[in-house]
Amino acid sequence: MLKKTIRYLALCFILAPALMSSAQSSSSGTKYHNVKEVQQMLKEIQQKNAVNTRLHTIATSPGGEPVTILEIGSSQTGVPAIFVGANFEGNIPISTEGALRLAKMLTDSASYTEGLKWYIMPNPNPDAAKSFFAGVKYGRSVNDFEINNDVDESVNEDGYDDLNGDGYITQMRVKSPDGTHLISKNDLRIMVRADAGKGERGEYNIYLEGIDNDGDGQFNEDGEGGINVGIAFPHLFPAGNKEAGLYPGQTPEVYGILRFIFDRPEIAMVYTMGSSNFCLVPPKGGRKGEANLDRIKLPGRYARMLNADENQTFTMDEVIEMVKEVVPAGMEVTPSMVAGMLGLGAVVNPLEDDLKFYSKFSVEYKEYLKAKKFSIENLDPEPAKDGSFELWAYYHLGVPSFSMNLFSAPKVKEEKNEEDNSISLEEVEKKSIEKEGELSDREKALLAWSEKEWDGNGFVEWEKFQHPDLGEVEIGGFVPYLETTPKPEHVDSLLAVQLPWLLQLTKKMPEISFAKEELTELGSGVYKLELFVENNGTLSYPIAMGQRNRQPAPLIVVLDGDFEILEGLKRTPLGSIGGNQVRKFTWLISTNKKAEISAKLESAVFGEKVKQIKIGG
Amino acid sequence: MKHLTILILLVFLSFSGYPADKGKIEVPLRFDRYYNLAEVEEALRALNQAFPKLTKLDVVGKSEEGREIFALTINNPDTGKELDKPGVYVDGNIHGNEIQAGEVCLYYANMLLTNYGENEQITKAVDKNAHYIIPVVNVDGRYYFFEEGNTPSTNRSIRVPYDDDGDGLFDEDGPNDLDGDGNITQMRIKDPHGQWKADPEDPRVMVRVKPGEKGEYTLLGYEGIDNDGDGRLNEDAEGYLDPNRNWGSSWMPPYVQRGAGDFPLSGVGLKAIADYIAARPNIIVGYAFHNMGGMWLRAPADKSIRLDPSDIAAYDVVGNEALKMTPGYVYHASHDLYSTYGDFTTHLYFINGILGFVGELFMRDQETFRNEDDKTAATASAGRGTSTERNRELLAFNDYLTQGELYKDWEKFDHPQFGEIEIGGWVKMSSRLPHPFMLPDLVHRNASVVLHSAQHTPEIEMEVYDVKKLDGNLNRVRIRLENKNGLPAMTAHAFKTKLYEMDRLMVNGAKVVAGGKITDKYFEKVSYKEKKPEIQFLALPGYGVVEYEFLIEGKGNVTFSFESQKAKNVKTSVKL
Repeated sequence: MLKKTIRYLALCFILAPALMSSAQSSSSGTKYHNVKEVQQMLKEIQQKNAVNTRLHTIATSPGGEPVTILEIGSSQTGVPAIFVGANFEGNIPISTEGALRLAKMLTDSASYTEGLKWYIMPNPNPDAAKSFFAGVKYGRSVNDFEINNDVDESVNEDGYDDLNGDGYITQMRVKSPDGTHLISKNDLRIMVRADAGKGERGEYNIYLEGIDNDGDGQFNEDGEGGINVGIAFPHLFPAGNKEAGLYPGQTPEVYGILRFIFDRPEIAMVYTMGSSNFCLVPPKGGRKGEANLDRIKLPGRYARMLNADENQTFTMDEVIEMVKEVVPAGMEVTPSMVAGMLGLGAVVNPLEDDLKFYSKFSVEYKEYLKAKKFSIENLDPEPAKDGSFELWAYYHLGVPSFSMNLFSAPKVKEEKNEEDNSISLEEVEKKSIEKEGELSDREKALLAWSEKEWDGNGFVEWEKFQHPDLGEVEIGGFVPYLETTPKPEHVDSLLAVQLPWLLQLTKKMPEISFAKEELTELGSGVYKLELFVENNGTLSYPIAMGQRNRQPAPLIVVLDGDFEILEGLKRTPLGSIGGNQVRKFTWLISTNKKAEISAKLESAVFGEKVKQIKIGG
Repeated sequence: MKHLTILILLVFLSFSGYPADKGKIEVPLRFDRYYNLAEVEEALRALNQAFPKLTKLDVVGKSEEGREIFALTINNPDTGKELDKPGVYVDGNIHGNEIQAGEVCLYYANMLLTNYGENEQITKAVDKNAHYIIPVVNVDGRYYFFEEGNTPSTNRSIRVPYDDDGDGLFDEDGPNDLDGDGNITQMRIKDPHGQWKADPEDPRVMVRVKPGEKGEYTLLGYEGIDNDGDGRLNEDAEGYLDPNRNWGSSWMPPYVQRGAGDFPLSGVGLKAIADYIAARPNIIVGYAFHNMGGMWLRAPADKSIRLDPSDIAAYDVVGNEALKMTPGYVYHASHDLYSTYGDFTTHLYFINGILGFVGELFMRDQETFRNEDDKTAATASAGRGTSTERNRELLAFNDYLTQGELYKDWEKFDHPQFGEIEIGGWVKMSSRLPHPFMLPDLVHRNASVVLHSAQHTPEIEMEVYDVKKLDGNLNRVRIRLENKNGLPAMTAHAFKTKLYEMDRLMVNGAKVVAGGKITDKYFEKVSYKEKKPEIQFLALPGYGVVEYEFLIEGKGNVTFSFESQKAKNVKTSVKL
């Protein structure tokens, strides 16, 4: 019972719904494209731009569908790339449309593909995406990977059933003495959880629409599929959730994506279109269990090695200084190295320095939307899920990871009383009591949205039904996809406003180059060489997370020529360079000839830049 | 590569303890020698050809460099299909340098096949179980360990290039076999201000000088040159992807777990093996052999993970007995050694419901001329800080019992960067590998442990022990299931976390009105299952006994069947 309720609550978030059969095509000609059509569109884009684009099929889904990535700017080498993935959970079709539109924008105009490459993946979870277009709708997010969810003697034997034949899986409420829910006093359509602490007793139990097909006493516990591609990546992988698979990348779509991206170190930024929105709301922090780098305790053997007191705590900077004492002189000691050595574990909260740029860009994005008269008084985007692609991109790739949800229903505006500011404590309490039983912002917004845009059809009114297992029940509730999927005629305008921001964000990317060089003769053919390397972008390279996990490819200065290096290295790793910052690097060289120094800035992300410096010119 | 020819010559020459011409590979296989990668494959083919009915040789997949990974299946088709029998998995040499682990696997196969029909215990294990044997997991590593200069510890990694020193180049500064003898040994340079001197008793041993004492040498480290000119030696060698940190369960990225690889099972050979194991859900126990220290390690490898107590009990059945077969070994959880993420045994347990063990072969303590009670603290402790006294003993062992094969005397060498130096020390076939004269004992003892756990794989007996006619058309039938052996039919963890299709007792042929597990047979308490009483799910532990009661309506033949992925299914029937 409880399980059912939890399942219901969970689904409430992803479900919601709408007359999609009529919604898929509309008078404006806009429509949601099914899996085959998306494939076809990718092919067409590729054929139209054959010189500069390529298609990569990186996996075949368990349901036999190809997972395809469109590369734009394929004729270029030595340039950074942006990876765009959309609709990982398969139940947010507008995100697939967003990725396709972005691909079109990029191929229509060359302005964002000069010196920049794009990888666009509109449909990483085609098996789930298919179900939006066919059959009974329930917001399916899992692929066709065979999973016996209830580990009984048969597979996929107890999925949802569209009992009232309306094409949607909604809810069933059934009167029961041990019920957990009540009908809201404010709106008879909405079910609220009874609060025993307030003297309420539940009258209804709530299930998702279906029968106990296998007669084991549970409803819908083993439906079709599968693994949800959108929660099957290795950061905070939700082990134990069958819909994530047994380990990250067990399903071929995810394994293929991981391989594809790691094979391309030039990918320097990642965009995700789905349910979270890092453009508006920075990735959330506050997760427990992370090592505090200001209070590091040194395990016994390291304390002894470093001559430190094992009963004390140290800051990261202090530990770095201690480690420097015991490693060969000149060896760079980084926080990442120390964290690895001491086993400080994984980072699970966004690093402070990275939150700065997320917050800054979020403010800019809100201004941008305001200027475009685009309301942001909408339901909040969901936080990124554990095991999601966007979290993995930030924590494991160590690159800026931005996401967009492209649509959410407008909030219902409250009429505010000006005097609210000065009310007494008692009045506050009184008000809060009045609020009991009130609908959530989400329910209000969705009901209003259903009225406004779906002629009320976004909510299936409760109707009696004679259920084979439960007797008399009522079936009703929000229809699937209502919350995430606007009518097709709105898609154009939503994308037209929001997508250009992703193009603007590319202007924030780091741009690394030589700023200046200075060569000073110290006498007798000994010279001091100073190279200034600048980052003209807003974002640092790497971002803080990339510095911590050392995943982004290093920036290297390589010196060549007919001289001897007295101090410094032929290949010098530059470490990190902050946004709008310049760093100076110094070498001591010696030559008696009128030689030339070739200084090469080398990077798997930014390519190569060479500077020739004449000696004794 | 350029040293290859010299090296092959030297490998043959340096092993004078057995004939340079090792002869044709024939069944029964010989274990007074080490097989290189090609010979392992030849040995597997020889076993397969000698026992075509009992064996199957499969290519599991290919490595990073395209070498084939072989699995030998031993199953007697006359006693049933492979997947219907409890599976025993054994692999070795996941770390490329840990070669004797491969010999243990070959020996296990050789032992089962050549003694089949002769030895009763072995015949039973062949008939009862399916055995899956992958002698060399890291085929690239084993290949290079033989063919190139190595220390006893190099070529452990999977061949996925890694930029260890963060200079943008991959694997550009590994050790170099400067003297071309097939070994990476040590380099020392004469230095009046050095911190080391030669031991007066055995000048091969380097001793640290006392404070104020004058030194003779500086130790420069492993044989090599600074290939990339960054002022460091051998700091970016091959790899590093540690194949025992790349598995899917509790995997952590490389900045948390060194050697983890970019993502779980990014090693293509490892992924192929993971898929191979997943396609054999009958496997209940698995072994992965490594080569350091004499240990039986069980899951988990990360101390934050808890195992179900009843599964620990099952582990103990095998682990405690294993200690009797391998004196000197210890048995404990893998994390007691050190915590790791993404290791193989944890994957086996959490992903496949397999009780996985690591066998750490070889104790260097055995290279001794002292009796157990004669060992002093200075001589007993092996490990990193080997004492001078212990070094002298090891060298004496080398001189007397291996005829000098394990140690290379210091010899002058003109180093391109350091000038005149000396090169010498323990060769690659030392330190972590028993000399071939000790190999037969090692492989036999450790293969016996695997055989022992095969004998402990679940064997379920089912008996209808009570049938009572109740009113009207109703019968009460009581049935007992007993696991005769020490390993469970399904781990408690797999059952509780719904890892895979649950083991079950099914009633067919009549209507079951009620049924459930008897929780107290003296007070006749039964825990009835509310829905579908004709199917009862259960996990039968090692030596476990469970009883069920069914109230059955009707007459005729009623069949009871126990179905399990990992234990052989059994059936019984009763006429009502």
